[in-house]
Amino acid sequence: MTESDVESLLRRPDIAAIEADNFPKHTPLKGVLLNDTRIVRFRAGDIVVREGDYGNSAFLVLEGSLRVVLAPELPQSLLGRQQTGKKGFFEALSQLWTNSTVPEVRDISRYQGQGLRGGSDSANARVFLQDVPAVLDRHRTAKLEDGALFGELAALGRVPRTATIFAEQEATLLEIRWQGLRELRKYDEGWRRMIDQRYRENALKTHLQESIMFSRLDENALQSVVDKVLFETYGAFDWNVAFQKQRQSGNAKEPVIARQGEYPDGVLMIRAGFARVSVKHGNGERTLTYLGAGDHFGLGELYAAWKNPDIPDIALYTTLTALGYVDVIRVPAPILEEHVFPFMEQPTSTTMDIASKPVADDAMMEWAVEERFINATRSMVIDLERCVRCDDCVRACASTHGGNPRFRRHGRTFDNIMVANACMHCADPVCMIGCPTGAIHRTVETGIVVINDLTCIGCATCANSCPYNNIAMVAIRTKDGHTIADPNTGKPIFKATKCDFCDSNPGGPACVRACPYGALRRVHFREFNPAGAG
Amino acid sequence: MSQRYSAVPVTTFCVLSAAVFGLTAWAARDTWENLGNPAILTGYTLFVLMLLLGFLNARKRLSMLPVGRASVWLAFHVVAGILALAMFWLHTGTIWPVGLYEQVLTGLFYLVSLSGIVGYGLSRMLPRRLAQTEIEIIFERIPAELAEIREKIEALVLECTEKTGSDTVAQHYIGTLSWFFARPRFRISHIVGGDAAGHWLRGPGSAASRYLNDPERAYFDQIIELGELKCLIDRHYACQELLKKWLLVHVPLAMAVILVAVWHLILVNVYAL
Ligand code: SF4
Ligand code: SF4
Repeated sequence: MTESDVESLLRRPDIAAIEADNFPKHTPLKGVLLNDTRIVRFRAGDIVVREGDYGNSAFLVLEGSLRVVLAPELPQSLLGRQQTGKKGFFEALSQLWTNSTVPEVRDISRYQGQGLRGGSDSANARVFLQDVPAVLDRHRTAKLEDGALFGELAALGRVPRTATIFAEQEATLLEIRWQGLRELRKYDEGWRRMIDQRYRENALKTHLQESIMFSRLDENALQSVVDKVLFETYGAFDWNVAFQKQRQSGNAKEPVIARQGEYPDGVLMIRAGFARVSVKHGNGERTLTYLGAGDHFGLGELYAAWKNPDIPDIALYTTLTALGYVDVIRVPAPILEEHVFPFMEQPTSTTMDIASKPVADDAMMEWAVEERFINATRSMVIDLERCVRCDDCVRACASTHGGNPRFRRHGRTFDNIMVANACMHCADPVCMIGCPTGAIHRTVETGIVVINDLTCIGCATCANSCPYNNIAMVAIRTKDGHTIADPNTGKPIFKATKCDFCDSNPGGPACVRACPYGALRRVHFREFNPAGAG
Repeated sequence: MSQRYSAVPVTTFCVLSAAVFGLTAWAARDTWENLGNPAILTGYTLFVLMLLLGFLNARKRLSMLPVGRASVWLAFHVVAGILALAMFWLHTGTIWPVGLYEQVLTGLFYLVSLSGIVGYGLSRMLPRRLAQTEIEIIFERIPAELAEIREKIEALVLECTEKTGSDTVAQHYIGTLSWFFARPRFRISHIVGGDAAGHWLRGPGSAASRYLNDPERAYFDQIIELGELKCLIDRHYACQELLKKWLLVHVPLAMAVILVAVWHLILVNVYAL
């Protein structure tokens, strides 16, 4: 973005309408536009955002026209995603003799016709629809034209994109990074109103209905809740980058959302991300549990205050801090007193029960939170008191993945537990943010994070983003062991590889099945019970 | 998502094994009472059991197929191994037969059984010992780790000599410590859970300590600290090596038993004709 780009942007009525005077000196509007936005051009057919992708930016249409696919959804293959299907028995068996002794062999003829353009540069690479008229024929779409803003809810709320949008003709868009969007919402009344309004209209009602607190409300009552709740975000969207650095220096910063001892003015509902619940213990903070999407904080205290109006100074029992990025909905106390408390039972709190136990009992949880393993939905956990270090698990992985294992039997340890370097299929998969072709994605069927080898351009965005170092970039080879070079640049072609939970293999993850001592498990950390191994 | 290790297969296999043994023993006795040859029945049952035991090794190559968990296969292997031993005695009717060929077969069979029992014991015992080291290291990486430690120590020794102008630490390293750091030591002690390595490090390994001044001692303490790390790596080396190597005894012996048993089967059938 250049100064002159900014000047011409400021001449557009939608940007000129932003009140630059409301921006503080340290964050002027021009600075936001200069640093947190860029102009991107798309050719006809280019996919701008894909349904299901995670992204950290919103787009404003400056020129041209785009289409939002309403129904039916575009097939996964058109979006550059992998067609998953379980291998048959004989296809799986044939790996016995078809696996090459050379690792990472690829047949490059399969890379043709994948609807990719822009080479291996992550800024320009795109997946495009080769037959736009046919898509328009078969799918119901809506037009987006000059001045339309989209993608802001996924960018601010860290939730998957809800629709696929592609360029119908050449289009010029202003891509606004999450940081810039946050500043615009913070300092410009018009943008705040617009974003909040769209959030309230499009996502909030459904989200509140999913909560047990509000599920029984009728339409009118729900609407009055929707109108009065507040949205807050804590931590940085790119927490993974900061976390990787902080992990080395050993002092991760966690913004406080609510502090123990303070008066609770509302219930906090976690919409996305994770937060730590802790209490003061000695000279430190003791982690009692962590909260994720759908959980709430402060309900017990507010209920007690409502039920016992004579007791003065009801205060929060615990502290809530942001682990990475957290998107919070604050439901003010008067709303709860009107719509929720009269109809609910006294909430039971398990956190205070945990606090009464010896600290050693939850040391494991403390460690898992510290290491951010709470993000894991399928973490590879090895019980080191059972593991005989035979590497049968590694060999099983190799034999189901073309001769090269997709994990390392090595990782962080706590007591007798090791979390191996295998993709954990995160609840908040930061690796998926920024993949230019959508090659890394969650499968629709199982929610497992996989990489489509055919559309991976080897830019390493995912590998650099994964805070757990669970993605490996590998040079691909021919059967006789030669590395394959890009004909245009002459450089070796790399592909991102990682554990795919044996998504296409019959029988599930081979590593788990191969361990003769039952030492290896794939676990969701919330449900993880180390004693379960025994 | 999390999976629990279950005792159910072990119990099931135990019950099945007891039933197989009971039925075979009853059928053998019945055959014997009717003046038949019970050895045919017990021999074939034993042979089938041996083949089934061998499948555990084949399963390792079939990890891409939904053929059940290896831990269940191992449970079966252990229980079927015990059943095979009982069946062997039922078949031979003695602990040590008379003919040379039978003695070879019996000797091999006992060696397989013994290596299996020892190996199973080791695989239950040694992982705990390794977990207690609180470091984790891949076996193949150990030589490189030890080389790194040696490099660090040699750099410390050189620096100590240069900075302090005294070669006491260097002399002690060359004369005593270099032996310890050269390669993994005190294997047996590590395997049986002893502390011979630590004892040596605190004794002869630290003998030069009393002749050092404060700056030299600062270097020497770092060397001893690296020595303590090496003790832990050595323990990994000793235990992991044994965990890998017992299979190199058990598997070839098991194959030899099957081969000799096949020959035994052929001979018996030829003579029976
Ligand atoms: S690759 Fe890394 S960030 Fe992505 S889901 Fe796996 S562990 Fe999480
Ligand atoms: S297969 Fe099991 S026992 Fe062997 S190395 Fe892997 S986790 Fe350890």
